[in-house]
Amino acid sequence: MTIASMRGVVKRYGSYVALDSIDLDIHAGEIIGLLGPNGAGKTTLIGTLTGMRPFDHGTVELFGQSKHPFSHENKEKIGLVTQEITIFEELTAKENLQFFAGVYGLKGEVRKQKVREVLEFVGLSDQANKLPTKFSGGMKRRLNIACALTHSPSFLIMDEPTVGIDPQSRNYILEGVKRLRDRGTTILYTTHYIEEIEAIASRVIIMDQGQIIKEGTPADLIQTIQHEEKVSFEVTDPERIPEGSLEKIAGVRRVLTAGNDITVISDAGSGNLDRMLSIIKEHTGVLGIQTERPNLEDVFFTLTGRQLRDKGEEQ
Amino acid sequence: MTVFKFSLKRSFSNKTNLLLLTLFPIAFIFFPEGEYWPVLPYGYQYFGIVLLFISIRLTTIILVDRAKGVVKRLAVAPISYGSYLCQNLLAFSVILVMQCAIVVYGGVLLGVELYQPHWLMLLYVSFSFTSLAIALAWISIFRSKESAFLIYMSLVTLLAILGGLLMPLQIFPEALIRIAVLFPTYWLNQGMSWIASEGSVGDFILINGVLWLYTIIFMILGSTRKIH
Amino acid sequence: MRVLSTVKFTLLRMLRNFIVLLLLLIVPIVLISLFSLILSGAVTDTGEPYLKQPAVSLVLCFQLFGGSTVMYMIHSELFTEHRARMQMLPISLTMYAFSIMLCGVVYSVMLGVILMTFTQFVLGLIWEHWLWTIYLITLMAILSSVVYLVFMFAVKVYKTAERLSEVYGIGFILLAGLFFPMPDHAFFRFMGSYGNPLTLSTIAIHEMSMNNTSKAWFAANILLAATIILFLVMMVVGRRRFMRDRV
Repeated sequence: MTIASMRGVVKRYGSYVALDSIDLDIHAGEIIGLLGPNGAGKTTLIGTLTGMRPFDHGTVELFGQSKHPFSHENKEKIGLVTQEITIFEELTAKENLQFFAGVYGLKGEVRKQKVREVLEFVGLSDQANKLPTKFSGGMKRRLNIACALTHSPSFLIMDEPTVGIDPQSRNYILEGVKRLRDRGTTILYTTHYIEEIEAIASRVIIMDQGQIIKEGTPADLIQTIQHEEKVSFEVTDPERIPEGSLEKIAGVRRVLTAGNDITVISDAGSGNLDRMLSIIKEHTGVLGIQTERPNLEDVFFTLTGRQLRDKGEEQ
Repeated sequence: MTVFKFSLKRSFSNKTNLLLLTLFPIAFIFFPEGEYWPVLPYGYQYFGIVLLFISIRLTTIILVDRAKGVVKRLAVAPISYGSYLCQNLLAFSVILVMQCAIVVYGGVLLGVELYQPHWLMLLYVSFSFTSLAIALAWISIFRSKESAFLIYMSLVTLLAILGGLLMPLQIFPEALIRIAVLFPTYWLNQGMSWIASEGSVGDFILINGVLWLYTIIFMILGSTRKIH
Repeated sequence: MRVLSTVKFTLLRMLRNFIVLLLLLIVPIVLISLFSLILSGAVTDTGEPYLKQPAVSLVLCFQLFGGSTVMYMIHSELFTEHRARMQMLPISLTMYAFSIMLCGVVYSVMLGVILMTFTQFVLGLIWEHWLWTIYLITLMAILSSVVYLVFMFAVKVYKTAERLSEVYGIGFILLAGLFFPMPDHAFFRFMGSYGNPLTLSTIAIHEMSMNNTSKAWFAANILLAATIILFLVMMVVGRRRFMRDRV
């Protein structure tokens, strides 16, 4: 069953094209990882998918409705975890949840029960009556997520929900996402942290410069670029290896030297590790060997020629 | 003198501050004279409140530096906290003294009756330092710029009333006048009365002396909070 | 009307903003107590306590600043931090904005009534026409919210709207001649009487206490008309701002 779909959606800001002919289908029960660097158009895509931002061209369909996709009826089925922490600092954790539950029409005992459940789900039951001003960054993030869960949405959109938090809170959130999936919630999860996508996503959509440049399961995407192997050698003196000797080995595409490290890129399955090692050992000492398996970062790099994150953004 | 130079730049960095530090005091020159009270024109009577207000606007730069951790960064730089504080305060003092000069000598140029303008200038300069010291002590107990500013303005209103800047002290009950003596605004008010009445120089020295005593006390209180 | 479920929480948030409580309740209470101490028992030629005029002015002056909470909340919830989440809620955002405005007015009037109660029961000042005074406080509170929102919708930068609202509050206090007499000029005469919400409401309260009902209603109706006109202006600029920001 298709929960949401976009066909040929274009969004422009003046002459800048923020979304360029986006075609997208989200099916029930999926966790879709929306991956892309800052400015790729992830938040704009969420904005247009949810009706927060008008678009210039194309169609959006939510829960089978294309005429009035952003009706209140449909909004009741969607939960949005915003990138910014959008909780009320003057209200306790419990009151924050009561506020949102009330807006979604929950009343009386049902509301109380739901608030209790959600607090339990995000691990804030002990903090229910405390103001968020006393919370750590991770706790605020969890409350931010909780606010989107009080009405048990069938489609949850999480826009960079783990920005700037500690690893423990991150793991807690990722585990929570998996539990939601097990309950049948469809999740659209945007981030520029590859590890998170690899840990939870059933399907990955890679965006860059307003376009969807690739989509598929993480394994499929990695498979598409696994046509080369990378082996790194740490040696005592790389100068002593005669120039061009490694390049001559069958299957070797490129040899890169940086300090004491020599990286050899070969065709996939060329089986030339033994030959490389013997040439290096003949001229100098080997301190270490490392083979690298490609990940989604490499997929992005192969597709765009750029890194997904700046070095400074990495944790 | 890098901190001094940048403190001056930052003080004039936004439009609101630029207006407050330039046009705002000039407007006070044009305020009318009172019939029976105050002894100096209203603008000069209220100028002390302006100095208190501007001082807190300026010193919040130090509060922001503390809140954002800039002071911590300076702690590992080859500059002492004392030097950082002194250069900032020097920059703020220069601004306040210039404002005093604009208001006093601007008034003289426009023919406003100020009785003894040089003595008035001296009184305003003394009070500028007092207000700067009070503001420094005040921001040392706050983390948020907004809270510090808003609560301080409430306090300034009370100080202004109790010191006789907004209402004549003559209508105060005896007990309240005794309490008023405790506030620096009272001494500013006394100074302005002295300027209009031409009393003995000794009295004027005493008035300025009290203001400087307040300056020293608040300066010590305000400069003890360093990084955290 | 799911918006109604938010009212309790909006009021709670306003009540928990201690800075606003300090500035709009504690400060006027302290000031009026101080005035009471200074003017202890003194009466005018007509036998009215000297405290009456500063008390009326203070109660009304602080209403000029009552719109700040409404402006801040609507700005943060519909235009900045909370905007995305609010837009996803299955409620009418216009109704939600009105509910915040209504809460702000109720809150502001409540603070005014607390001040009146304090002056009557603690300081012994008699307010002759409670309902009439509350009506004028309500008008002032609505006007303040409307004016602040007009500023917020009309200018791009929020800080500019804040500065304009300060000019509105302090400006009308100055023009009312509460700090010093204004020059004898037609403009200042008008802005110190029928062109100033503060003096209009003061006149309305004063005339009613003198039993000049028609003069009191006249001043109050000017205030009401100004509020209605500015309310319409607010709707227009608000709609335009909302459409402009929804890109």
